Amino acid sequence: MIGIIARHEGASLLRSMQVWIIMALLAGLFGFQFLKQLEVFLSVQARLALQDHPVGLTGFMSVRYLEPLALAFTLAAPLFAMRSFSDEFRHQTYALWQSSPVSAVSLTLGKFLGVYTVLLLSVILAIGMLGIMQLMTPIDWPLLLSAGLGLSLCTAACTACGIYFSSLTRHSLIAIVASLALLFISWMLGSAGGDTLPLQGLTDLSIATHLHGFFQGYVQTRNIAFFALMTALFLGLTIIRLDSLRQKGQP
Amino acid sequence: MALHTPDSAQAGNATPADIGAPLLDAHSLSLRHASDAGVADISLSLQRGDIVGLLGLNGAGKSTTLRLLCGALVPDAGSVQVNGYSMSDNPLQARAQIGYLPDQPPLYDDMRVNEYLTLTGRIRGLDRANTARRLSCIIDQCALGDVRRKIIGTLSKGFRQRIGLAQALIHEPAVVLLDEPANGLDPQQMEGMRQLISDIGRNQTIIFSTHLLAEVKATCNRVAIIHSGRLVADRPCSGDDLETVFQEATS
Repeated sequence: MIGIIARHEGASLLRSMQVWIIMALLAGLFGFQFLKQLEVFLSVQARLALQDHPVGLTGFMSVRYLEPLALAFTLAAPLFAMRSFSDEFRHQTYALWQSSPVSAVSLTLGKFLGVYTVLLLSVILAIGMLGIMQLMTPIDWPLLLSAGLGLSLCTAACTACGIYFSSLTRHSLIAIVASLALLFISWMLGSAGGDTLPLQGLTDLSIATHLHGFFQGYVQTRNIAFFALMTALFLGLTIIRLDSLRQKGQP
Repeated sequence: MALHTPDSAQAGNATPADIGAPLLDAHSLSLRHASDAGVADISLSLQRGDIVGLLGLNGAGKSTTLRLLCGALVPDAGSVQVNGYSMSDNPLQARAQIGYLPDQPPLYDDMRVNEYLTLTGRIRGLDRANTARRLSCIIDQCALGDVRRKIIGTLSKGFRQRIGLAQALIHEPAVVLLDEPANGLDPQQMEGMRQLISDIGRNQTIIFSTHLLAEVKATCNRVAIIHSGRLVADRPCSGDDLETVFQEATS
């Protein structure tokens, strides 16, 4: 059942012109950022080679090209996820799911996987641009895969956040603004950090803090757990929200 | 979808297949805290072949009653059993026995008719082969052959209503709940809808809400009248005195 819902959700996204426009803008951004940073790398390559531990192309591009793209995915995920439930409420198609033998868990996971799969296409495109450099120069694949894992986990958490806010309202715009505000605050917490304990605690809630290591090739369990928990939390809240709609009626 | 034994059979009682067992048994349904119109103490017991017209003034609670019966809303008190499955204990199995057409058909405007009906068949638990078999049957039954490859958003209200009816019938449910099925149909289409309801009513139980006494007279063998959220009449449909009964019940 989850697969059927995921296919429907993914196909529904790919039928939307808005989604293709966002994907085209993302692809344009990837291309621009990739070429710009590649040019910077070529200009500083000779100086980098003189260092004790010289940074290679993959290490340079991972931090300068891929890490900033995480912010782009943080912005794009709620835009992709906004349709999940808000549109269903607004067009009154949610009655189809409510009267069908589909559990809130299946519906939530199906919609999440559908949206996430489409977003993963963009993640693969971003990683693939760097991977294709293998044709010209050796690529540090473990580092590239680590960066890809970081982008994928961050995108999953942001998608789950977008889906949750989409389940709260019939107005897509409110869902987008609310989820972007929360994700933006989560990014900003990283720069609010300090040495004192309360501020250190805030830093631990930051997306940026947990994401940085992936782009340097450090795959740490605590960072994976952070994004997995964030994803599970928002999906769990969505399931509770959908169950409550049977008590309260649609928003 | 896994097969489950109906609750009544598990309890050692008569199974729904036994003659005389109700296909739909609602007992003392009440709902007060929803955004929808409230209902109180609604009880209905329907046998195979019953075609029930649910009559009532605007805001009387007809749509809320249908939403409670199909499991889209959970009642504050009372119970629903569909074909032997309890809506509270086995909601997925119970909902699989129901076909529901809300007052606004739950259609995805960007999908083609056959894609949409395939989706609705699959989420109601039909496998691929059975969905394909039922798709061609239901398209013939609802006279959708000419538009089966058209985008739903381009179709007239009459066609949209028929697609809504087709999604409610595609999985051959034991109980069919129709909320104002004649909405937006021209006289010729209404005649077709009457004929269709009479045909499917031979083997299934149908409840449909309407404002039109003539519809009930022409199609139903039983009438239930709701007024201010309460069931004020439930009797065989004799036809001639229906106006009087309705006036008395709602005055």
